[in-house]
Amino acid sequence: MMEKMSEENSEDVRVLEAQIEHLQAEVAALQRQQQDNHKDITFHLRGHMQDAMSYVCGQKQAGEKEKVLSKLTEELEEDLKLQTQMNGISLNSCTTKTLQSSGRQLVQQFCVSGHCSELVFQVEFLLSEVKKGQRSERTIRDLNVVMDTSDLQNFSSFLSGVEESTDLLLFFRTLRTFSDRCDDRRRTFQHFQEKYPSVVSLPGGCRSAVMTLNHPELSGCVLFVHWSVEVSREGRVTPKIELLTKIPEKALQLFPSQAVSGAAEAFQSLLRILGPEAAVESVIMAVSLSQDT
Amino acid sequence: MAGASTKGVLSHLSLLEVQARSRKTPPQQPSRVKELKAKAEALMTQRDQLKAEIETHKSLQKLRASMDKQCTHEEEEEEEMAIDSENSQLLRLMARHTQLKDLLHAHDIIGGYNVIKTRKGKGLCVSLTTAYNGVYLENYNLEMDLKPTLRISRDNIPPFIPLKSLAEQSNMQTDIRTLLDPLSQHLNAFAARKQQLKLVKELHKSVQVMESNALCSLLVLMFTVPREKTAVLCSLEYTDHTRCLPTRVHFECEDKGLPDSPEWKKNSSLLMETPVHKALITMKKMGDIV
Repeated sequence: MMEKMSEENSEDVRVLEAQIEHLQAEVAALQRQQQDNHKDITFHLRGHMQDAMSYVCGQKQAGEKEKVLSKLTEELEEDLKLQTQMNGISLNSCTTKTLQSSGRQLVQQFCVSGHCSELVFQVEFLLSEVKKGQRSERTIRDLNVVMDTSDLQNFSSFLSGVEESTDLLLFFRTLRTFSDRCDDRRRTFQHFQEKYPSVVSLPGGCRSAVMTLNHPELSGCVLFVHWSVEVSREGRVTPKIELLTKIPEKALQLFPSQAVSGAAEAFQSLLRILGPEAAVESVIMAVSLSQDT
Repeated sequence: MAGASTKGVLSHLSLLEVQARSRKTPPQQPSRVKELKAKAEALMTQRDQLKAEIETHKSLQKLRASMDKQCTHEEEEEEEMAIDSENSQLLRLMARHTQLKDLLHAHDIIGGYNVIKTRKGKGLCVSLTTAYNGVYLENYNLEMDLKPTLRISRDNIPPFIPLKSLAEQSNMQTDIRTLLDPLSQHLNAFAARKQQLKLVKELHKSVQVMESNALCSLLVLMFTVPREKTAVLCSLEYTDHTRCLPTRVHFECEDKGLPDSPEWKKNSSLLMETPVHKALITMKKMGDIV
């Protein structure tokens, strides 16, 4: 009887050992999969996130954790709001993919999309971080910027320069300044259109570079305020405002006035003395033949 | 007889001992089974836990992907997730958490300004990032009081950067970026000039750096012309401190005619338009300097 028992036992042991071996292989495979998961998407589960994970998986009472995590998320939302305001850039999405992760070096692919005021952008780049003693050295490579530059002619040469020099910070600093200057222009144009609706019109919309001034009784004579925002290859943003005139030849022949032919130059001196808003307004006043100045 | 009985007792004892031993082993067998069973069970729990985690990971990824999509397309499309309602709220929070982390990380890399509220919202610490050609360099910090008015309380901006006058010229009470943008421009231009100088020293051993200043706004280099072995002193002045290209290039040489020669005129404009370490590569290739 004793012998029979030990025989049964060794049978059990064999079965169990096989089962264990099988389970070990399964666990190892799952662990590899999990590691890949962590590599693929930067779900670095630490602290509260790790806790939350175990609650989700462990079917434990999650109420408490939910509170902790919602508080944590709230804090992050707050941080993001502050950061968005400070940087003047709203980000919609950021996806990362780890391409290489060895002891000292981490290479990640980033795809970030968002907008700066009305300007929509998407940037892709590789970020490599190499640990050097206490600090890590971060480098950007393979920068690719996608923007609709169809109506931003002067932006494209800057863009290609930025891609070449992989100067991500310069790109965003310039984009922000460019967008701010465009907003200034829009605000000014809209202000004048509302204030002088009979004289001012914005044929290309309030975000375009052109404002036309035209007295209702002088349909042949049109003045254009051409306000462009120039971007140099170095990323220098400068508004350029010009006054252009369209006055019939005949009128010019009949009234060869200095005021009209020299209008463009005169406007430049006005700009220097009064600044853009006041200079444009004084031209508007002149066109509207206003008596109340 | 007595001997036999003694033998008998001893052999009886030894028999008992053997029996006791053999009795001991059978109970050992089941405990080995128990051990293995426990091990198998532990492994099963581990496997189930891993499976659950991987499943959760998948759901999180899906949730996150649809969140990213929603953000870009602005259209509400309720994702069908096979998550029990009890955990869905928690999962949603977790997905949002990862998204927020990534967005903040992106801001850290691309934005140029990192801001932290300090002293329970009474203060602000802004860190300005500098980089040149994709390489991140020093960070500079500004500590600010928010009340009664925005004021810089501490900073580690180099003294030769005109922080005070930039703050005075700015409109920082209403828009802090009117201070940060020009400041960042100064700091990045400085970092760029400094990095260029470092690269000149690293890449061009044959070029001697005769003089440079802390702001890296003045740089005097000595070149050697290959055949004649004459020395050329080249001074680069960066009077616009918000730029990393020189505003004036000047050559000095025993051969008085050299600076006015067409090649060196070309070199002069090259140095005005190209970062110095890159311009030197071109000049070497052209055979103008050693």
